Amino acid sequence: MWRRYRPLRIISPVAFLVIWEGVVRLGEVNQLIIPAPASVLRTMIDLTIDGRLPWAIIASLNRVLQGFIYGSLLGIVLGLLVGWFRAVEDAVDPLVAATYPIPKSALFPLFMLWFGLGETSKVITILIGVLFLVLINTVTGVKAIDPVLLKAARDLGANQRQIFTKVVIPGALPNIFTGLRLGAGMALILVFITELEATKAGLGFLLWESYQLLLVKQVFSCTIAFGILGILSSWMLQWLERAVCPWKRV
Amino acid sequence: MATILRLKDIGKVWHIERTKEEVMALGGISLDVEQGEFLILVGPSGCGKSTLLQIVAGLEEPGSGMLEVTRAADGQKQTGMVFQEYALFPWRTVLQNIVFGPEARSVPKAQREADAQKLIDLIHLRGFEHRYPHELSGGMRQRVALARALANDPAILLFDEPLASLDAQTRKVLQVELVRIWQETKRTFIYVTHALEEAVLLGDRVVLFTARPGRIKEIVPVRLPRPRSITGRREAELLEYLSERIREEVDRSLKAEGLT
Repeated sequence: MWRRYRPLRIISPVAFLVIWEGVVRLGEVNQLIIPAPASVLRTMIDLTIDGRLPWAIIASLNRVLQGFIYGSLLGIVLGLLVGWFRAVEDAVDPLVAATYPIPKSALFPLFMLWFGLGETSKVITILIGVLFLVLINTVTGVKAIDPVLLKAARDLGANQRQIFTKVVIPGALPNIFTGLRLGAGMALILVFITELEATKAGLGFLLWESYQLLLVKQVFSCTIAFGILGILSSWMLQWLERAVCPWKRV
Repeated sequence: MATILRLKDIGKVWHIERTKEEVMALGGISLDVEQGEFLILVGPSGCGKSTLLQIVAGLEEPGSGMLEVTRAADGQKQTGMVFQEYALFPWRTVLQNIVFGPEARSVPKAQREADAQKLIDLIHLRGFEHRYPHELSGGMRQRVALARALANDPAILLFDEPLASLDAQTRKVLQVELVRIWQETKRTFIYVTHALEEAVLLGDRVVLFTARPGRIKEIVPVRLPRPRSITGRREAELLEYLSERIREEVDRSLKAEGLT
């Protein structure tokens, strides 16, 4: 029973919040810097009612989803080709190796110069960040396929196209999902950074504006909202992985 | 009996890129395989018996020599391989694994699944059709691998140490099963093993390989009635004889490597 329910997993975070609330109320810390959890919740509710938080989330999600979806699709397609075809690997690998170490946030200024101050430069920054992670993990996935499976497929009479669709793609799926999970995290980091500049909408903008106005409760609210987005994205990917890879128990 | 497969002086040399060495794996194998026989290939490790199997399967090119297979009328692939590591597709259920070959040949879905059901009955796995490989025991996985190879209806089945990674109990059960399936399907079985006990229990003929480079040292016919028992007197005598002959080769290869 103990093993199955593990009550400490609930007690521990609740206790943390209670102690935090208590310490702040006793006046041990400056409320302007570390507000009490209950007052942060109050602020979140206010921001939700006046619409600022939901609109900020929608603006950010729009950028994240576009960048994530296009970046993932490109990354998967390119990764499968690089992993499977030697010529594609030789053509693409040096480019990836040279550009991968650049922090993707550092490309944002260039993208603003090239694509303007609107949504495009933000979406492309996110797209690039996701693309690299998905690409690299997809390549790893293709290369990690047990050679005996390729041999078996060949022995059973599969042609090259069938080996690609029936063995290489499903074989790479688990690693593709690793890439997607890392990519989702990267997308949230990059949306925050791109919203520091050239926008009046988005969770990153709201957070940064709140900081500059020293509205610490609002800063906390936005931080928590980012966290919730992170959790939701990882749940959705887990659900998707269960649906697409029923042979893997995740 | 009709010859189904004729090997003429098959040789194979491996080029090791890193050291620029050339290793002769097979040094000229000539052999006629009879239609419907259970042929065993045994020899010290590294003698090239698995390589020969891959060449027969068409998965490796022979370096030299000729290979003649009596073709089926419809020109379909004549061999099917069962690997030691099962090589089942983890993302496919038992049924989906078995239909892989027919699916690649675009056999209609209803027909290939009906055929697969017959094979599932043959390997006694009814009720497990929709399990994934990781939900099966090692013995069950190897039965699925056999059914998958049979689904292509090949005349010759190739086995590359199929029972080597199973526990002793499961191995015994599957040895009996293999003979039963061989008798029911009337296919030609070519079976690589290093377990001499299997050679005695399963084979019609045992081909003994020399140490590397692999050549045929001797072909031993097994004229014992089935079912055989490893505790039978004549089985024990044959086992003793085979071990003696293999030991000569192992000693020779150890000497060649300077280990004795």
